[in-house]
Amino acid sequence: MEVDLLSGPERVPVSPVAPALEARRVSKVFVGRAGEATLALRDVGLEVQRGTFVSLIGPSGCGKSTLLRILGGLEQPSTGEVRSTTRQERGGLPAVAFVFQDYGLFPWLSVVDNVAFGLRMAGMGKRERHDRARAWLARMGLAGFERSYPEQLSGGMRQRLSLARAFVTDPEVLLMDEPMAALDAQTRLLLQEDLVRLWEETKKTVVLVTHSLDEALLLGDRVVVMTARPGRVKLDLPVGLPRPRNASSATGVAFSRMKADLWAALRDEVEKSLEHS
Amino acid sequence: MTGVAAEAGDAVDAVDAAVAVLRAAERRRHRLDLSLAVATPVSLLALWQAAADLHWVDPRIFTPPVEIARAAGQLISSGTLPSDLAATLARLVVGFVIGAAGGTAVGLLLGIARPLRAALSPLFTALYAIPQIALLPLLLVIFGVGETAKVLTVVAVTFFVLEINALSAVRHFDPRLVEAGRAYGASGAKMFRYVLLPGSLPAIFTGLRVSIALGLVVITATEFVASNNGLGFLVWNSWQLFEPDQMYVGMATIALLGVALTAVIAALERVAVPWVHRRSR
Ligand SMILES: Nc1ncnc2c1ncn2[C@@H]1O[C@H](COP(=O)(O)OP(=O)(O)O)[C@@H](O)[C@H]1O
Ligand SMILES: [Mg+2]
Repeated sequence: MEVDLLSGPERVPVSPVAPALEARRVSKVFVGRAGEATLALRDVGLEVQRGTFVSLIGPSGCGKSTLLRILGGLEQPSTGEVRSTTRQERGGLPAVAFVFQDYGLFPWLSVVDNVAFGLRMAGMGKRERHDRARAWLARMGLAGFERSYPEQLSGGMRQRLSLARAFVTDPEVLLMDEPMAALDAQTRLLLQEDLVRLWEETKKTVVLVTHSLDEALLLGDRVVVMTARPGRVKLDLPVGLPRPRNASSATGVAFSRMKADLWAALRDEVEKSLEHS
Repeated sequence: MTGVAAEAGDAVDAVDAAVAVLRAAERRRHRLDLSLAVATPVSLLALWQAAADLHWVDPRIFTPPVEIARAAGQLISSGTLPSDLAATLARLVVGFVIGAAGGTAVGLLLGIARPLRAALSPLFTALYAIPQIALLPLLLVIFGVGETAKVLTVVAVTFFVLEINALSAVRHFDPRLVEAGRAYGASGAKMFRYVLLPGSLPAIFTGLRVSIALGLVVITATEFVASNNGLGFLVWNSWQLFEPDQMYVGMATIALLGVALTAVIAALERVAVPWVHRRSR
């Protein structure tokens, strides 16, 4: 079951269409203040085809966030390269949108201004950006909270706010870093359903980092398992569950079998990462 | 059916009643807080008055409040107090505005420009450690006994407080917010204008609150020794002429000025950084 199709540098893309995002032999080393070096990623290869949803799992500290940042251009790889075939800029809007682990909302901006932030940076006028932001807030069930500040919202609402901020820029690629990690189990279930629905409506190219095997399978077209640090791709599992999906997609034999496979691959790595720390 | 509805109605009424009781209790507690806050100083003044009247203390040194009030009335009608207040306020406000603007600008600049920071930050920190009032003799030598030297003592204290606060706000800026800003297209001047600056405002306002109080101390001390008007001069001169009633008027005015200026800064803060106050609610 452990197929490592994607990590080799020699791999020639089989798809006639170039992937939306591609990491080739990407390594990343961090040098700390005391001069100590941390190898976070080693020779990571990953292709994300246009319009697919890739879930990324791996033990804590294996470099998932780092990989996501590199894919989105917030960080440069130490070696290797990232290719992206996203249309470059559309009216100053970035082609890639992030949903951060702790949301990264600006406490000094009202809810509506947080959502409109990317549009504002792209030079869009106030009326238009607020209209668009309001539309997404309504879609996310946050109508009526436009003038609140993020700190006045609950965790689930902040999460939906950060999704609205990402979707309002109509990005081609959406990179999400453990967006549900801080939520309680019930809120998380609801938001997972929201995300499934949103994705099936919009068909963005998505990379989602998660710790939850259920979430990875429920949402993803593929689940990529990373090794303990330095992170590499260990397993790349296609998820054949039919769409549209909902909470009941997470029942059934096929789901259980895939979950068992994922855990088998992940378990060793989690143990390794515990030994090291 | 009606029974159930009536019961539900009763439950709602009962809840409303409970809410009303809790609200009334909270209002009572609030009124009590207020009356205690007023009662304490009023009783102390009454005690002071009684102690002076009964000669428990020497009324020539501890002028009773009624006498102080009379002195205040005289100083106001003669125009002395208003003109001293105006002189102090002008020095303080001019020095504060210059020092705050300069300190904030330099602090933010040092925060984003590493070589400048390396060159200047340790020097500024060392200079801040010198009590600014100790600069007064030097300033007097350089600028003479005019307004410039007095205003500059306030500039100095305000500048360093704001420089240090603004610098530290940028240095300890939440890297996740910088990253979020970058991800959504803020770079260069936009990063500064839309992320770093608004995010640093709470620390800047803390600096303003601290430095207005320090500025009042410094200008008072300056006027003690190097001025022939202003509230500091009023206090010092009254002491030298042994007119304690006027001295108390000067001290009380300085205290009230401090309270008023702090309230002005707090009001500005509520307008400029509304999110900080909503958070604590
Ligand atoms: N800016 C950085 N400076 C130094 N080390 C870093 C930095 N970012 C991440 N690391 C290190 O790189 C490794 C991978 O981090 P990360 O990508 O956040 O892991 P994950 O998201 O999988 O938990 C960790 O050991 C982390 O300490
Ligand atoms: Mg992470």
